[in-house]
Amino acid sequence: MRSPRLTIASSAGNFAGWVSRFSGRGRGETIRGRALLALYPRALTELAKDRDIILVSGTNGKTTTTANLARILADGTDELVTTSTFGANMSAGIAAALMEKPAHRLVVLECDELYLPEMYNALAPKVIVLLNLSRDQLHRTGEVRKVAALWRKTFTRDDVTLVIDRDDPFLEYAAGDAGHVLRVTFGGRRHPDAATCPACADLLSWATGDYECPCGLGSQLAQVRGDHRLSGPARNTVLAIEAARLMGGVVPVETAQELTEQAPDRVSTYHVGGVAVETRLAKNPESWRVALESITSTDVILAVNARGIDGLDTSWLWDVDYSPLLGKRVVCTGERRLDAAYRLHVQGINVEVAHTFAQAVSSSDKPVQAIASYTAFQDLAAQELGLRRAGGRQ
Amino acid sequence: MSLTIVRLYHDLLGTYGDQGNAEVLMYRARARDIQVDLIEVAPHEPVPRSGDIYLLGGGEDGPQTAALEMLSKDGGLNTAVDNGATVFAVCAGFQLIGSRLPNASGIPIDGLGIVDAETIYTRDPRSVGELVITYNGQLDEPVLTGFENHQGLTIVGSGIQPLGTVLRGIGNGRDGADCKSPEGVHHGRVFGTYMHGPALVRNPQLADEVLASAVGQLTPFNDEFAEALAAERRHTLLK
Repeated sequence: MRSPRLTIASSAGNFAGWVSRFSGRGRGETIRGRALLALYPRALTELAKDRDIILVSGTNGKTTTTANLARILADGTDELVTTSTFGANMSAGIAAALMEKPAHRLVVLECDELYLPEMYNALAPKVIVLLNLSRDQLHRTGEVRKVAALWRKTFTRDDVTLVIDRDDPFLEYAAGDAGHVLRVTFGGRRHPDAATCPACADLLSWATGDYECPCGLGSQLAQVRGDHRLSGPARNTVLAIEAARLMGGVVPVETAQELTEQAPDRVSTYHVGGVAVETRLAKNPESWRVALESITSTDVILAVNARGIDGLDTSWLWDVDYSPLLGKRVVCTGERRLDAAYRLHVQGINVEVAHTFAQAVSSSDKPVQAIASYTAFQDLAAQELGLRRAGGRQ
Repeated sequence: MSLTIVRLYHDLLGTYGDQGNAEVLMYRARARDIQVDLIEVAPHEPVPRSGDIYLLGGGEDGPQTAALEMLSKDGGLNTAVDNGATVFAVCAGFQLIGSRLPNASGIPIDGLGIVDAETIYTRDPRSVGELVITYNGQLDEPVLTGFENHQGLTIVGSGIQPLGTVLRGIGNGRDGADCKSPEGVHHGRVFGTYMHGPALVRNPQLADEVLASAVGQLTPFNDEFAEALAAERRHTLLK
């Protein structure tokens, strides 16, 4: 039974969301959640009551894995599952997702790394999937190890099961004091940011493609072993399948195999000036590396912004190897196009700059693929939504 | 003419695109027909004594302490500096070439003592954001820009020049009456700074200062992309 206060606050939130949508400012979810929480701060706990909640967090793959897990769980349980809207992963977005279908018992939510302690305490999730931790938005998180330490301090009770990729030493450290941990290993993958042990700061030896520190980090055996050749999205799918199984979902071995082979990638097609541009989201060195490897066109657009969620410090552009772009025609756009262009220029890549994404597209007469930082990607998504509303393209 | 650049411990001190400083130094040197060798030194490998320019980058607290212990034990960097090598050290690297700094647990320990600069742990929030300074030496364009992200306050010894004076941001930390905070350090051929960006990418003239300290006067080089980037950053951050 909902409390009267939640009912009133929900209605007010819905109204605010409707105003936002109607006025064309946005899709309304975040506004809705924000209004609800302003009127009733305990709404999260009440909305989560008597429901089975799974949180998904980590640096890369949260949005895709959340959507994927919701689907796997729905298929595996024959129940309806509520889940997050595209990337809305802080308290307001999570509140909005919980308001959406209060009757659904199963809920899969994406959660921002720094909001995870608060959401764990407010929502009492049954399972938390921790995908990976690497450098991202350092202006906000300070250090990768600090995020891991914050999680370790949070997960000290045995009321939740963590599903982790134990090959990531930061995750192994984060889960160090947790009551229940399901460890998945793929092996053979050196972590780019873990030269030293997050627990004791000694140098980690990666000679075998795996780590184990004399302090004990990495000595716990994994319960699940995945194929070491799997891509990042496929590894995330394996974690999602394990989480679904923990929640009682039935995922037969053949289905799991199929799901892992068809791991979704975060690629969207946007229409700019009448041209369809296949666009990949990339937001930190690791996700840029993956995106660059999948580029097949000869004309490529890179859109780089440095607003909050993109990371304010663009230094990381120099940590990415752009050699997959050698010999291609590259146009840089976005607010930090010059930072990106100079980096490519020094690596000997033929590069031009364009003020807008539309100009970058129009300078090309061949199929073009793009990689965009978070807010550049969001801008394209918003334009696409505008086009659809205007009755334009599908 | 030839030049040897030594990049120290990328795995430990390379968190903020620090390899960009090496790439830009090589690019700008080769544009002047200087032959460049880059030596990458991994943790526990011996540090060569005969390099011309040594680069240290930013890193997290644990790796910073590990790097300091190894460099202390090896002694190669100190020897090279005594022999007149150039050092360009950023953020964690800047702190560890100083006289004292906090270790990963916040306890003060000795640095390499290459410059008289002491970093002390403070409870202030991390200094995070764009950093703009005026360079203390002679440059056509004295305004330099970067991005800082560090804990602690650095006090430069009385006989030592900071690299510049802060126009925007925190730098070494607030310093008394005139409220003009110093940034980094510049002593002989030793440069230290909190500026990422990377600093030598965003400030081509500073890159030439570092190069010139090792090889002497440089021929002019018009690097349009670099100048455009530096100008865009100055313009955006000071408007």
